[in-house]
Amino acid sequence: MKTSKIITTLLAGLPTTLTLLVAAFSLATLLGIGLAWLNLRANPLARGLARLYLGLVRGTPPLLMLLLAYYGLPVLLKTVGINIDHWTRLTFGILGLTIGWSAYLSEAFRSAYLAVDPGQLEAARASGISDRHAFWRIIVPQAALLALPNIENLLIGLTKATSLVYVIGLYDLYNQATNLSNQTAGVDQLKIFTILALGYWGLVLLIEAGFRQIKKRTAKRIA
Amino acid sequence: MVLEVHNLHKQFKGKEILRGVDLTVGAGEVVVIIGPSGSGKTTLLRSLNFLEHADRGQLQLKDQQIDLAKPTKQQVQWVRRHTAMVFQNYNLFKNKTALQNIAEGLIYGQGMARQKAEGVARAALDKLGLADQADAYPAELSGGQQQRIGIARATVLHPEVILFDEPTSALDPELVGTVLNDMQALAKQGQPMVVVTHQMWFARNVASRVVFFADGRVVEEGAPADLFAHPKEERTRHFLNSLAENY
Ligand SMILES: Nc1ncnc2c1ncn2[C@@H]1O[C@H](COP(=O)(O)OP(=O)(O)OP(=O)(O)O)[C@@H](O)[C@H]1O
Ligand SMILES: [Mg+2]
Repeated sequence: MKTSKIITTLLAGLPTTLTLLVAAFSLATLLGIGLAWLNLRANPLARGLARLYLGLVRGTPPLLMLLLAYYGLPVLLKTVGINIDHWTRLTFGILGLTIGWSAYLSEAFRSAYLAVDPGQLEAARASGISDRHAFWRIIVPQAALLALPNIENLLIGLTKATSLVYVIGLYDLYNQATNLSNQTAGVDQLKIFTILALGYWGLVLLIEAGFRQIKKRTAKRIA
Repeated sequence: MVLEVHNLHKQFKGKEILRGVDLTVGAGEVVVIIGPSGSGKTTLLRSLNFLEHADRGQLQLKDQQIDLAKPTKQQVQWVRRHTAMVFQNYNLFKNKTALQNIAEGLIYGQGMARQKAEGVARAALDKLGLADQADAYPAELSGGQQQRIGIARATVLHPEVILFDEPTSALDPELVGTVLNDMQALAKQGQPMVVVTHQMWFARNVASRVVFFADGRVVEEGAPADLFAHPKEERTRHFLNSLAENY
């Protein structure tokens, strides 16, 4: 089989892979911030809820999470009268990955927040700066920078985990490759999967390059 | 009086750290607090601007009388806007440049317009001879430079009083002088300050009054010449002798 044929076939799966990656990571970031916030509350109920969610989610393999989202969630929601049968597979794929990565990200955010030296909050207070301003102008920017290495790892992890959506019948890069390989009875299998691997490597290299740039420009602000 | 504290008490986990402290700072006065490690000097300073919450005590700052044990939110904010603090570890905002560190309190503590605040900050850096470091982040500055900026950050607020907690203790010996010079210049301008320090040179030469503090209370106080030459209390004599042996 021609290399170009393989590449165009695989590329047909790229939009799905990228959509899953961008949408799930963005939503997981928002949800993760909320979870970290709950987990840092003094209120034991808020903290308990956050920890229960984190415990359950972190103990569930991503593949199983996708299956549970696709097959389990509609059943669960139907018991409270909500019907989501008409949602697309892509929506369920995003949902499953979002749930998983929200938990991992929330831990990254929480530990980064706790790593910011509390002396700076005291200095802000002593200068008459309100806690709200100190939080948004001093603490959060530094916590975000401190969290970068973990965020990068999680984004790379998610890039690879998007390949699991074949279990709910989505045609991403990986499933396109499998499909193509099956069509040719495995003759071009090695070639196809080598090209596929190069595709994921390219994505990961792009992510790494992006983070390298950000880190280079901001290193002085958290040293 | 600029500041007056009366009968300040504070305990940590049932252990009484401050046992009824009285302290006054007059206009233009530099009050230097000396005393053994662990006696509660840091806790005393931090109780004045509510970084610690006292169990009992009265604070008079300008015309305001405040119950240190039960301040309102407004009172806490008011006290913090009329005082400033210089920390042992500088505590500069790491994500802000030198200039921004100095301007931040003016903008977000006192509501000054950003442009004006940055002008004030730039002038302060000029005066210190640190103008070329305006855009440097704390990580790019020496400890001495960081502390000088920490002092400028406090000074530009024109607080009623500046609280210094061992401002030179974390510095390499050769950098101590630059910081003490800034503080001396500030004293000459009449800025009231309370300084906890082990730098006896500063206590002797810059202080208006020296306070010897031990076991959570003021043991004795007086003009530096008197206190160093003729300490009244055995405890003070003992402390001063132990210093003499170390130098
Ligand atoms: N947050 C805290 N929790 C419990 N104990 C504390 C706390 N802060 C201070 N202490 C205790 O209070 C006592 C006084 O501490 P403080 O730091 O005020 O002393 P200091 O006179 O400033 O000492 P140094 O000269 O070493 O700085 C010490 O015994 C210390 O262990
Ligand atoms: Mg101390």
